[in-house]
Amino acid sequence: MKSRFSWFNVTAIVFGFAFLYIPILILVIYSFNESKLVTVWGGFSTKWYAGLLQNEQLMDAAWTTLRVAFISASMATVLGTMAALVLVRMGRFRGRTLFSGMIFAPLVMPEVITGLSLLLLFVAINFDRGFWTIVLAHATFTMCFAAVVVQARLTDFDQSVEEAAMDLGASPVATFFQVTLPIIAPSVVSAWLLAFTLSLDDLVIASFTTGPSATTLPMKIYSQVRLGVTPEINAISTIMIAFVTVGVLIASYMTRMQSTRAEKERRAVDAGAK
Amino acid sequence: MTISPAINGTASGTASQDRRLRTAAPQSGFAPWKDPAKKPIIRFEGVTKRFGDFVAVNNITLDIYEREFFALLGPSGCGKTTLLRMLAGFERPSEGRILVEGKDITDLAPYERSNINMMFQSYALFPHMTVERNVGFGLRQEGMPNDQIKLRVDEAMALVELGKFSHRKPHQLSGGQQQRVALARAIAKKPRLMLLDEPLGALDKKLRNQAQFELMRIQEQTGTTFVIVTHDQEEAMTVASRIAVMNQGTLEQVSTPGEIYETPQTRYVAQFIGDVNIMEGKVVSLPGDGTVDITPASGDGRIFKAGACQGLVVGQQVWLSVRPEKFRISLEQPQSTINVVKGRVDDVGYLGSISHYHVHTEAGNRVTALRANSSQSVERSISWDDTVWLEWPADAGVVLTA
Repeated sequence: MKSRFSWFNVTAIVFGFAFLYIPILILVIYSFNESKLVTVWGGFSTKWYAGLLQNEQLMDAAWTTLRVAFISASMATVLGTMAALVLVRMGRFRGRTLFSGMIFAPLVMPEVITGLSLLLLFVAINFDRGFWTIVLAHATFTMCFAAVVVQARLTDFDQSVEEAAMDLGASPVATFFQVTLPIIAPSVVSAWLLAFTLSLDDLVIASFTTGPSATTLPMKIYSQVRLGVTPEINAISTIMIAFVTVGVLIASYMTRMQSTRAEKERRAVDAGAK
Repeated sequence: MTISPAINGTASGTASQDRRLRTAAPQSGFAPWKDPAKKPIIRFEGVTKRFGDFVAVNNITLDIYEREFFALLGPSGCGKTTLLRMLAGFERPSEGRILVEGKDITDLAPYERSNINMMFQSYALFPHMTVERNVGFGLRQEGMPNDQIKLRVDEAMALVELGKFSHRKPHQLSGGQQQRVALARAIAKKPRLMLLDEPLGALDKKLRNQAQFELMRIQEQTGTTFVIVTHDQEEAMTVASRIAVMNQGTLEQVSTPGEIYETPQTRYVAQFIGDVNIMEGKVVSLPGDGTVDITPASGDGRIFKAGACQGLVVGQQVWLSVRPEKFRISLEQPQSTINVVKGRVDDVGYLGSISHYHVHTEAGNRVTALRANSSQSVERSISWDDTVWLEWPADAGVVLTA
């Protein structure tokens, strides 16, 4: 068999990755630019990062974003886990297909639609728009991602483990907290991290559902960029990239750990069967 | 893995704990089901379980007595596991009641049945807990103090001879060790009733045979009533005091292993347990000496004698069943003319200790006979195409009416 190495493949990979990452790389590099002009390199400096701390508007927006992401991710994880439990455990109940369809539809729903419909809802019920409407909106659209992640783990979960716990005298609540949750914990954590990062970088839904009182970082950046890109924006964007990257890395690491453990368990059972 | 005859290493136990473990084994005369004064520990009263249109368990009434090792035996889908799961509380009967020690437990949730514990086919060990925490799980749910839990866990681990693995996680153990952990976890709560769902199904044959004797030892030492579900008839015969043979949600027969084998009540039971030759026939006469004369349905007019079962009438359709090892196979025509058939050997299966002979009889039936190879080629060995005579005593033939 011939070697898989070919100039065409190498070129394709180089161009592909360049296309994906060069803009980000340039953004990161220019966040360390001494010059105020974003297109001219004036030497290395971290002054824009220091300047960020003085920029109260940006810091406020960053703090709001983190709080929104934290609260909405926590809500989404709880709701998503519950939805996943119902979908996997309840078996065939009337309306199951509809229910699962409705949970997963927001995954492919255009954000504009989600944002608009939430806005209309908040207006209709006369809910004061601001911080909490963004939280609710983010919890709504990240919940389905959380549900998918947790559901994937629950489908290969041996239910007799829960039966064993109940047989040994644990109530359903005790069984959930002592047995089910610890076993699915890695997937719950990665669901939370996924929801957190999704909320962190959302612009569209936040713009639709916010009021005058709350501005998230992506919204702030977007509005500033319209007045011209400053190296400060590059700096804050770099920090966000770092946040998201770490979040995604931890989430994928947890998922890998989980599948390794599941594999180990399977092998142990196979060894028993031999 | 060794089979030790006595429990060791429970230096910890209090007097009351030791009493349970030292209770003597059931004597050979152990037959509480024959004693009308004895109260059953488990009573199924007209229990039916339906899943949609499918009837998994059909109107079963059954008593199980204290300190029995009771086996539910049948092919997959016969309802034996459903019956066990109703006892554990994972399924609720569609009709009927289940009583344990006289108390109606039909509507109790599994975690409210504190005197019943189950060992699962998949073992269902908690993967995130060490062996020690797995075994102590049930005791922690009761809120027992930690020092007492430690003693009881050590005791249970010693009972299943699994001492040095207490800090391992389940996936670090072999299949046989996992099976012991599952057993220790269920027995640690000292239930009155222990349920075992195909507990040895995942073990290889040799390990399984050892584990069967181990289960019997533990059952005798603890004096617990065991109910085991199995599809393996040898396993049921080995461990059980009584066997319930199940078929399509109903009980075909509930008897001791010996009775099940020697006097099956239906063709289904006769065929499910071991090999058997079955011939359809009709009752010709009942001479009144406790035997019955039967003529084959093929209508060649021959008469076979069998030990009668109760309530037969002349002309009734019956089936005569004879186990292969009850035949005497010989190359010479026997003196007797009762229960003798002539045939030709079609096939010989030599298994070392025994040989199987497939005999084509004059009447056109295929019969399997079995002979122990006790003498070393003293007699001329029976071979293909030999003309042979099969003879069996009247009481070896069992008359089945269903």
